[in-house]
This record gives sequence, structure tokens and C-alpha cells, in this order.
Amino acid sequence: MSFWETVTGSDLTRHWTAFEARARVLPDDYRAAWEQIKAGLFPHGDFTGRNLTPILDSALALLEEAAAEGQSVGEVLGDDIPGFCAALTGGTGARTYRDRWREQLNDNVARKLSRLGG
Amino acid sequence: MEDLTEMLKGTLEGCVLEIINGEETYGYAITRRLNELGFADVIDGTVYTILLRLERNGLVQVTKRPSEVGPPRKFYALNDAGRAELATFWAKWEYLSSRIDSLRKGVR
Repeated sequence: MSFWETVTGSDLTRHWTAFEARARVLPDDYRAAWEQIKAGLFPHGDFTGRNLTPILDSALALLEEAAAEGQSVGEVLGDDIPGFCAALTGGTGARTYRDRWREQLNDNVARKLSRLGG
Repeated sequence: MEDLTEMLKGTLEGCVLEIINGEETYGYAITRRLNELGFADVIDGTVYTILLRLERNGLVQVTKRPSEVGPPRKFYALNDAGRAELATFWAKWEYLSSRIDSLRKGVR
């Protein structure tokens, strides 16, 4: 990734356009699942969302492989797409932006308290 | 047998390792193998996340192969670390199942 891409985010745009092109040729139920997967993964993104690119790529690859096998999306993902997304990002213990905010808040409170001598 | 999912959770990774140990294989085939074994509730998504974890932990060697039906498939084979992990899994399994058997038979 070049410096130019890092600052402009053009690499992200390029990847996302490629993902959407791949998703467009999937069967309808798979496309719906893809939308849900993106929504489910979004909270696990870092500041720019670059950490999601390889995860989205692998999730899309699974959808493509399974669609090629002629399975329904229900057979592949079941009814727990949020759970699937959590597992994709490294288990339910995966850090989300909420965890980071909570941590930040705790740190700030602890610092203020110690300054007060509490 | 239904509703095995909760009990199976901790051991599924070991099961997948054992299946890959038999021969280099891919996600869809692994799920079908588990279904044939009687684990009907196991779905591709679950197996897929296990495979990703095995890959991240460096236990498998991944090769992309073209397939007749569509996009290339990812094939998985165990490496040395994977074989060691599998041996550990069976040791733990032996221990767990022998302890549970003892409990059932009332051995103290």
C-alpha cells in the first residue's frame, strides 16, 4: 500500500468496489446475507476499517464457494449471522469500538480519581 | 441427535483437525463429513470460522485449487504444529471422557 493510498483511502475504495462487483453476481439470498455480514462486521472495524478488508474478502469467498455448490444461504450460515460475524473477527471476545470507548472512559475516570487523591 | 451444539462446541475444532489429518480437504467437504457422522446441525459457516482460526493459529497449510463448479477452493492440510495440536486434543479427550465415565459409574 503506497503512502498516497494510505492518506486518500483509494485502496479501500478499490477493494470495496471489487467486493461489490463480486457480490452482485451472487444469488439473491446470498446478496441479502452479504448485506447483513457487512452490517455485522462494521462494529469490529478499526478507525479506517482496513482491518475488515481481509475478513470481508474471506467471507465473500465462502459465499462464492457455497453458492457454486448450489446450497441455500440458510444451509451455509444458519440464522445467526451476527454470531458468524463475531466468530469471523476472532470470537465473541473480539474488541469492538464499544470496548475501546469503554476502556477509554474507564481510564479517564481512573486518572481523574487518582488526581483527586481518591 | 439434536441440540448437540452446546456440548459439541469445545470439541469441534479437534474434530475438524482429525478430518483434515485424514486427507487434504476443503470446507464444504468437511461439513458434509461431520453431517454424515451424525452432527446434522453443523453448518458451513461454523466450520469456516474454525478453519479461519486454525489458519490464524498456524496449524494448517492452505492451498488454493481451481474447481469445476466455480471459484477456486481453499484446501487445508495439517502441518507439524497442527499434528501436535491434534495429539494434544486426543489426550485431553481421553482424560475428559475417562473422568466422565468414572463419574457415571460412581467410581471415587
